[in-house]
Amino acid sequence: MTDAYETDGTAESGGDGSLLMRDGLIRRAGELLSVGVLLLVIGAVGFIAVTQVNTELLTTVFPQFVEAFWLVVRIVAVASLLSVTLGVLVGLARISRSPVTGRIAKGYVEFFRGTPLLFQLFLIFFGVPRLWPAGSTNFPVADWAVPAAVIGLTLNHAAYVGEAIRGGIDAVPDGQMEAARSLGMSRVMALREIVLPQAWRNALAAIGNDQIILVKDTSLLTVIAVPEIMSVFRDVNSLRLDPWTPLVWVCLFYLAITLSMSQLVNALERRADPTGQSRRGQMAALLRRAGGRGDGE
Amino acid sequence: MSARPLVEYDAVDKSFGETQVLRSVDLQVEDGEVVVVVGPSGSGKSTLLRCANRLEEVQGGELRVAGDPVTGPDADVNRIRRRVGMVFQSFNLFPHMTAIENVAVGPERVLGCAREDAEQRAYDLLDRVGVADQATSHPEELSGGQQQRVAIARALAMDPQVMLFDEVTSALDPELVGEVLDVMRDLARDGMTMLVVTHEMGFAREVGDRIVLMSDGRIVEQAAPEPFFESPSTRRGQQFLSRLL
Repeated sequence: MTDAYETDGTAESGGDGSLLMRDGLIRRAGELLSVGVLLLVIGAVGFIAVTQVNTELLTTVFPQFVEAFWLVVRIVAVASLLSVTLGVLVGLARISRSPVTGRIAKGYVEFFRGTPLLFQLFLIFFGVPRLWPAGSTNFPVADWAVPAAVIGLTLNHAAYVGEAIRGGIDAVPDGQMEAARSLGMSRVMALREIVLPQAWRNALAAIGNDQIILVKDTSLLTVIAVPEIMSVFRDVNSLRLDPWTPLVWVCLFYLAITLSMSQLVNALERRADPTGQSRRGQMAALLRRAGGRGDGE
Repeated sequence: MSARPLVEYDAVDKSFGETQVLRSVDLQVEDGEVVVVVGPSGSGKSTLLRCANRLEEVQGGELRVAGDPVTGPDADVNRIRRRVGMVFQSFNLFPHMTAIENVAVGPERVLGCAREDAEQRAYDLLDRVGVADQATSHPEELSGGQQQRVAIARALAMDPQVMLFDEVTSALDPELVGEVLDVMRDLARDGMTMLVVTHEMGFAREVGDRIVLMSDGRIVEQAAPEPFFESPSTRRGQQFLSRLL
């Protein structure tokens, strides 16, 4: 990061002597501080690794964590796809010109953003089976925990994705819709062809952010009996009274999912950037066509 | 072609809330005619244009394009818009598409042309407005003048009967204005019917068949360029011209 405003050192001898005028000094202090923090963390982690982590137990519990990890990956994959899909519909409903659709979508968003996810999970996991006429014993789904988890995460995050999409649509200039309509496109076609692709690009960062939160929200599923990563931690800790060893796996497995998720979002953002695409194929086809036409005439 | 005017405004009223922007406007644009609308800011010029393809709803009067109603419950607005090309001050090109896709998208999606044909025609139109070499560039890679010429090609791709130009050079750097006006001049020479809102008086005088002066939502003077600029018959006209000097 070098720019024209970077200090060159010579100018700093002047000034009014105020500490805040001395950029170089402050940068050096910042470096010292951050390196200090880093060393402290490395020291603490090293100390814990040596004194607290039981390497033998680390190997023993690994398969349990792998199993929980794959379950979380599957739940995230399904809930992610469903919540983004439903979120796009919610976003479109929010900008609907029908006051009925718009208000219902708004109510949906307010409810799922305004109540805790844990409450929503309880509602679905404990509440819904009780609605069956002969009581929850007759509820047709035998293992309700995972489906309830997927439904809860989907409904909750679709509200956030919907708001991101609505914001993305609002950020597209009105002129885009006008230009599309003036070509004779219907409103729906203009939304699909012109406005939504741009809104998607505008909303991607916010959606990615939300989907990473969705990954971390799976840790709540431990309370509705989904055997996910935190529940493996609880089992191991209560059996062996050793928190640090399983915590190492908890940390690494969550990071494995969230870091892949942000890679995926980065890739999608690159793809959504119009100038980022390769256009060699397009250009070649055009030149061929222009050339072929020239020969014909 | 019938002898009927291509665009007819009949006592058109338009207001935004309490503010009335068009007051009983009558205007006819004949087939092949270039009508240039001038007037001070806020006089209703752009609104006049935007009513012609129903980007604005009118509150009173009637509007017809090629005899078909633009307003009212019987109007097929998408059909009208296919016949009326529009070019905007701020270009409004679709940023997620290349130049050629911007031009081809209308024929392909709205008219149902095959992609190959639509792109072939788009390429020819880009060639006509002099930006064929930028066919695969995205709008953000083009200069303002190039963007506006692509926007003209996009409107022409629908093969419109009339073209609306809404202050299309006002957002351009001064040195880029000429290339856009050149394209419009060529279009006028080829017999395109045009309704043009502009502050470029040189262009109005040279290319316009008729100059329409608007003030406070009314048409206050209509004349051929020569009499309009040489000897305006109304006080409003004289005032407007004196401010230009």
